Amino acid sequence: MSIQFKTIKELKKMLQSKEISNKEMLEDTFSLIEDNKHLNAFITLNKEASLKKAENLDNNPSELPLAGIPIAQKDLFCTKDLRTTCGSNMLSNFIPPYSATVIENLEKAGCISVGKTNMDEFAMGSSTETSFFGNTENPWGQGLVPGGSSGGSASAVAAGIVPAASGTDTGGSIRQPASLCGITGLKPTYGRISRWGMIAFASSLDQAGPMARTAEDCALMLNEMCSHDSKDTTSLDENIPDFTKNLNSSIRGIKIGLVKEFDLSKLDSDVVKVFEESKKHYESLGAEFVEISLPNITLSVPTYYVVAPAECSSNLSRFDGVKFGRRCENPKDLEDLYVRSRSEGFGDEVKRRILIGSYVLSAGFYDAYYKKAQQVRRLIKNDFVAAFEKVDVIMSPTTRGTAFKAGSMGNDPIQMYLEDLFTIPANLAGLPAMSVPNGIVNNKPLGMQLIGNFLEESKILQVAHSYQTSTDWHLKTPNGEIS
Amino acid sequence: MDKKTVRTIAHLSRLTFEEKNEEKITNDLNNIIKFVDQLNDVDTADIEPLTSPLEKTAKTRSDNVNAENRKEVFLNNAPSSNEDYILVPRVVE
Repeated sequence: MSIQFKTIKELKKMLQSKEISNKEMLEDTFSLIEDNKHLNAFITLNKEASLKKAENLDNNPSELPLAGIPIAQKDLFCTKDLRTTCGSNMLSNFIPPYSATVIENLEKAGCISVGKTNMDEFAMGSSTETSFFGNTENPWGQGLVPGGSSGGSASAVAAGIVPAASGTDTGGSIRQPASLCGITGLKPTYGRISRWGMIAFASSLDQAGPMARTAEDCALMLNEMCSHDSKDTTSLDENIPDFTKNLNSSIRGIKIGLVKEFDLSKLDSDVVKVFEESKKHYESLGAEFVEISLPNITLSVPTYYVVAPAECSSNLSRFDGVKFGRRCENPKDLEDLYVRSRSEGFGDEVKRRILIGSYVLSAGFYDAYYKKAQQVRRLIKNDFVAAFEKVDVIMSPTTRGTAFKAGSMGNDPIQMYLEDLFTIPANLAGLPAMSVPNGIVNNKPLGMQLIGNFLEESKILQVAHSYQTSTDWHLKTPNGEIS
Repeated sequence: MDKKTVRTIAHLSRLTFEEKNEEKITNDLNNIIKFVDQLNDVDTADIEPLTSPLEKTAKTRSDNVNAENRKEVFLNNAPSSNEDYILVPRVVE
């Protein structure tokens, strides 16, 4: 029986019943990677070590929660002795001497990291077109982008190669590709998952999370990914619940907020229709819709494009060609070494954001831009705090539409920035949010977004799971069959 | 933002670009700055800036040596090193 398109839960069952051995499962995974090479979902494979781990598991069976489950890791997480590029030429030769805490957590739970997935360079992009290692393709159609920045992870899960993958989300980089690839992805509350060993883009926004076929699998992954980590000062020291526990609770009487300020009339009518149908479905499950106002939410994208570049320009100053990563050939002096290593190592979008960041942080502009954006950021957060007095979750489309063609965003960076219109607010406020497949338009999948209150990942997972146990959008596959 | 400002921030960022791209970069940056300028219309008097969504005091850990010395591993990762140091072009003549 094929392992393609199976969930973690199904693969666990296959292993436990000995329907397949650990080694066979991993061999099948690498065959699927080979068969889907055209997607360019992976930058680096971890074949030898993975097969060895699987063989060990066959000889010494394990009771660990994710024992033997093949997982793809976004190439933004440091993996000990396995090349970690962050999609950049700058790190094209970087082999980390340690693993990120979240990678350690997943591997301690028994996962096998089969490879590192493609991504927008340093996670800056919404289409995986800024990767130094070429575009990743969306399995739903030739020439379609998978979204980004976690596009390789989304593509690998959507193609049924692995049941789940890790991603990171600074402005939508888990949820937007999940929507465009027809899978389920969750960004937890800021601080839930340690950022230690995650290559930083914008430290006050970055958060890792799971990407999988179902909300249930996201919960299984999240159970293992979260931890309090003394190596990350922003890591939350809060109780970590069993995220699978409330999945099957009824959502009758739950209040779902609809944001008045999100003007859906500008979206494609088919996209709006998908959203309206999901609302009707939730009503049939006993949920109640409440209109809420988030007066400052329309300022989220401009706020983000001050805060994120500012933090990026500061974080990326560590890449100077001295201690690790790429160094230019024959530098004539130290200044030349810095300038040429950076200019040759970074791509256009990364440079653009560093320049914007340096500008908004420079003397004379700091208050007008950076401080101002942080003040507006507080207003946006306050809006959410007030809204969650009235509702349990907030629902919106995840994206403005379905996957677009590679190259179609043209040369205007702002058009690409607006791709994250619905997803950025949750990052600014630090709230958990997820994308759940809720329709298909012109043979391309689409997702809806559920935003939860602080630390209430269990609640949005419950709302997502109730949808997935009564619909089959999440089971649709790019080949037109239901998994 | 004019070309001179772009050159200054490029220098601050230790980045350089080909002269033929200068026009396009200046244009892009101007458009982005124009786009974020809408923040100026918001009244933020007396609003405390939000630097992190957590707003919790960072927990400190005790100052103990808890990592082994892996000098060799890290020196090996450097583009250029001898057995003790990471090497860069001579700074002092």
